[in-house]
Amino acid sequence: MTLGELVAGHRVVIAAGSGGVGKTTVAASIALWGALGGRRTVVLTIDPARRLAASLGLESLDAEPRDIPAEVFAAQGLRPRGGLAAMMLDQKGAWDALVERHAPAEARARILANPFYQHLSQTFAGSYEYVAIEQLCALAESGRWDLIVVDTPPTRHALDFLEAPRRLDDFLDRKVIRWFVRPYFSAGWSALRAVNRTAGFLLRRLEQATGVSALAEISDFFGSMSGLFDNFHERIERATAILRGAETAFVLVTSPEEQVLGDAEYLSSKMAALHMPLRGVVMNRVHAEFRAAAGGRGGGRAEVGPEDVADVAAAIGRALPGRPEETAALAENFADYQALARGESLRIEQFAAGLSRRVPLVRVPNFARDVHDLASLAAMHAHLFGARVAA
Amino acid sequence: MPGVLDRRVHFVIGKGGVGKTTVAAALALILARRGRRTLAVEMEASGRLAAVLGAGGAGAQPVEVGPGLHVAAVEGRAALEEYLQLVIPVKRLLHTIFASRVYQYFVAAAPGLKELMTVGKIWYEATREEAGLRAWDAVVVDAPATGHALQHLRMPQAARDTFGAGLVQREAARIAAFLRDPRATAIHLVTVAEEMPVTEALEAHAELTGPLGLPLGWVVVNRLHRRRFAAALLDALRTAAAQAPAEWGALLAAVADRAREEEGWAAINAQHLAALRAALPVAAVAELPFLFVEEFDRAALARLSDVLEAAIAPARMRARVRS
Repeated sequence: MTLGELVAGHRVVIAAGSGGVGKTTVAASIALWGALGGRRTVVLTIDPARRLAASLGLESLDAEPRDIPAEVFAAQGLRPRGGLAAMMLDQKGAWDALVERHAPAEARARILANPFYQHLSQTFAGSYEYVAIEQLCALAESGRWDLIVVDTPPTRHALDFLEAPRRLDDFLDRKVIRWFVRPYFSAGWSALRAVNRTAGFLLRRLEQATGVSALAEISDFFGSMSGLFDNFHERIERATAILRGAETAFVLVTSPEEQVLGDAEYLSSKMAALHMPLRGVVMNRVHAEFRAAAGGRGGGRAEVGPEDVADVAAAIGRALPGRPEETAALAENFADYQALARGESLRIEQFAAGLSRRVPLVRVPNFARDVHDLASLAAMHAHLFGARVAA
Repeated sequence: MPGVLDRRVHFVIGKGGVGKTTVAAALALILARRGRRTLAVEMEASGRLAAVLGAGGAGAQPVEVGPGLHVAAVEGRAALEEYLQLVIPVKRLLHTIFASRVYQYFVAAAPGLKELMTVGKIWYEATREEAGLRAWDAVVVDAPATGHALQHLRMPQAARDTFGAGLVQREAARIAAFLRDPRATAIHLVTVAEEMPVTEALEAHAELTGPLGLPLGWVVVNRLHRRRFAAALLDALRTAAAQAPAEWGALLAAVADRAREEEGWAAINAQHLAALRAALPVAAVAELPFLFVEEFDRAALARLSDVLEAAIAPARMRARVRS
């Protein structure tokens, strides 16, 4: 299978991987490919990627899908047969929207003003991921899109992202919530203390440690939110169904650096364990390795390494006579890039050996420029999909 | 005021993929080399820092990886359990608590608790004494990506301001004061000289020195490409490649391609390094070269730490601050 067939055959494509490997760019490029090929496409990014927004002809990205104007495509010589929209995850805004959407009118103001809610929506690690899943569900269920491309947070958080539905489900376990939904000073809590001495002890300690107000706020929060939980539970099951569904494909974006590949292997094994296996790999920022043609230069070895630097310098010297300093600099630079590329080739080979044969791995070269406008996103298609889409 | 290298805690932060772990490892090596008992700490137990320093992995227990250098992993939930063991001495009770759902629930739900405990554990290690002597002279933290790292560094202040009077608030206030103390703490920002990372570094710098009021150490610009090749030279080489015998033509073309690649990165790096230097009020910018190696091994790390040490040597720092 090729990456092109993979993207063509799925409605939801989720890009996962470490930070700083170009995930946002790859996700945008995949989305553009879908749009050029005739699909109604939306890309959900998590980065406040201002330059991406600017190059897409948008003032900024926000929590609503914004269509990329036709004239922006036209200006860069592209004629999409489908459409492309982009949006950004807005954590705080999305939580508020959730409350607005699901909470009974009389509880809304109370929830929004609750200090625990404010913490939860702003700083609770993982809440970002819950919101991302929520937005993915909304997009998938709207029926507006033929292709949804999602850019996820960096590796460790990507796992939070994938585990978010299950964790939220644990979090909202009704047996435990029963205690929390009661007003803190009510009989329910006294009963808990009386029946369960450990819990009673723990609660006293927590009160001493954090002050009564923290527990009371948490209790009040769950009290206000209690009407939403059934709704959440159902949404979580739907989210899990989407993430594990046949329409969804996870694509790992990585670079051939040692540490990054270590992270990639970790992520790959965790994803398999979560029943959300990798379907494709984009090896980004690969340095090209020069290999001599068979029967060519020197002794016929294909490899050109540091041991050949004198030969290489001599060849440059013949081509550029009388420029010894530049010749030496060129030869040294070439040898350096060869060393880098050889290490990468070896690591990519080892990494690929651990992949299923059905998982396509594509290599994208290390462009010596920032890739961010539509034209350069389109230029990536030759490497991702083997061909540009005829626009 | 003591020099930056004399501070007790060094947080190394920066955008994902800029080389924080490498810089944290290099800094830890430098400190250990200079005779300080150093604890290198990785957050999120990724195993990366331990691997770079030559250990198979890191757990809560420090592992020795060299003379005067240990590495350990700090994780919020484990730190909380360790902390509770300090304040609740009854072991049987503790086991019951850790197993109870109310406890699990509280840990999962309490906002920022894990972050607070992580930073608290780092503070605890930095100030811990054994038989009247400090357990560590320096703690170097390989922090998560910028946004997440700032969330951790913000947490003690937030806990101090939001929790009711109690143990947590008192402890949070002590940790917050320690983090803000320029004699005790240094936050080092790592970046590469490209547009997005520099923008993010400048934003983090503004946040650190502004609202958070945390003491900055160095801004380390990593992976700088420096070789410049004139366009005319590369054109000449390409022309020669086209005319050369076939077995050498392809090689010469590749030589020209790599030179153009290096020139491209060097130009991008030069531009954004200049922007960074122009925007920063502090002269404490340290530059590290891009290392061309097949494998980033101990030798490569040693090379990098030598360059870093030369860049941040105390004599030079004092001269810069005065000028």
